[in-house]
Amino acid sequence: MAEDIKTKIRNYKTAPFDSCFPNQNHTRNCWQNYLDFHRCEKAMTAKGGNVSVCEWYWRVYKSLCPIFWVSTWDDHQAEGTFPGKI
Amino acid sequence: MTHQMHAYHMVNPSPWPLTGALSALLMTSGLIMWFHFNSLMLLILGLATNTLTMYQWWRDIIREGTFQGHHTPIVQKGLRYGMILFIISEVFFFAGFFWAFYHSSLAPTPELGGCWPPTGIYPLNPMEVPLLNTSVLLASGVSITWAHHSLLEGNRKQMLQALSITIMLGIYFTLLQMSEYFETSFTISDSVYGSTFFMATGFHGLHVIIGSTFLTICFFRQLKFHFTSNHHFGFEAAAWYWHFVDVVWLFLYVSIYWWGS
Repeated sequence: MAEDIKTKIRNYKTAPFDSCFPNQNHTRNCWQNYLDFHRCEKAMTAKGGNVSVCEWYWRVYKSLCPIFWVSTWDDHQAEGTFPGKI
Repeated sequence: MTHQMHAYHMVNPSPWPLTGALSALLMTSGLIMWFHFNSLMLLILGLATNTLTMYQWWRDIIREGTFQGHHTPIVQKGLRYGMILFIISEVFFFAGFFWAFYHSSLAPTPELGGCWPPTGIYPLNPMEVPLLNTSVLLASGVSITWAHHSLLEGNRKQMLQALSITIMLGIYFTLLQMSEYFETSFTISDSVYGSTFFMATGFHGLHVIIGSTFLTICFFRQLKFHFTSNHHFGFEAAAWYWHFVDVVWLFLYVSIYWWGS
């Protein structure tokens, strides 16, 4: 079960079961991974680290989130009106 | 001459239920005229007829009870049940607003930033005026109990003093709350936070005003010697209502002002 993260990403098909989000409604799952990717990206670029460690979150939110939500949130971020804490 | 063989009150025919119902129609259609057609006439007419109905209906009840003696113990029991059931219905009314608040605040949506208070909302500090408001209402609960005990003991002067303190505390609460409304950086249209905040606290404030009015009526009735030391249901009903208003505030304070910040 304790696979290497690289193996997990190589074998990625879609977002796997995450016990943090056990219910049918995955809004929070999408939201949390979207936030986590952007927080990770922001932290890594600030420290000059490798952004590829954030890839897992990117994969999950791309699988789960409705495209319309992602484009709206990306637009909000560009405008500076994104309500989430990144 | 025929007498009734029971102690219940067979009320004489009265026009006030009809005028009350008509005033309700005028007020509701008046609201529509105001919201959609920019006309206040019907609403004002409705509010006027409503006020007149309330004044005359309750005046008649005082005449029947205090002056004509129709409020026997069994009649008073019915009035007690009535007031209790009414207050219970008001509890359910507020339950709806608390439900709305908890529904939105326990699982805040992405549009709010996934957090409560929502991003960009800066709530009032619960340790400032809201805490003062809490102490004002709690103190008014003490003073109204003092008024009741004075009444039970036949101490007229102290009853009037304690009741006037209670009323003044109620007015103080209303003034403080009004000033707080000006202080908020958010309005009713600022996300579900603004909606739940102002609906819940707004209706509570209305109930404080209603309760204060009821207490003021009791004050004038006491001045006019309507109450005796063992028959003063109007005052008791006002006191129950006042305690209810206080309890609702405590829930509001803990849920919306304190936990919700």
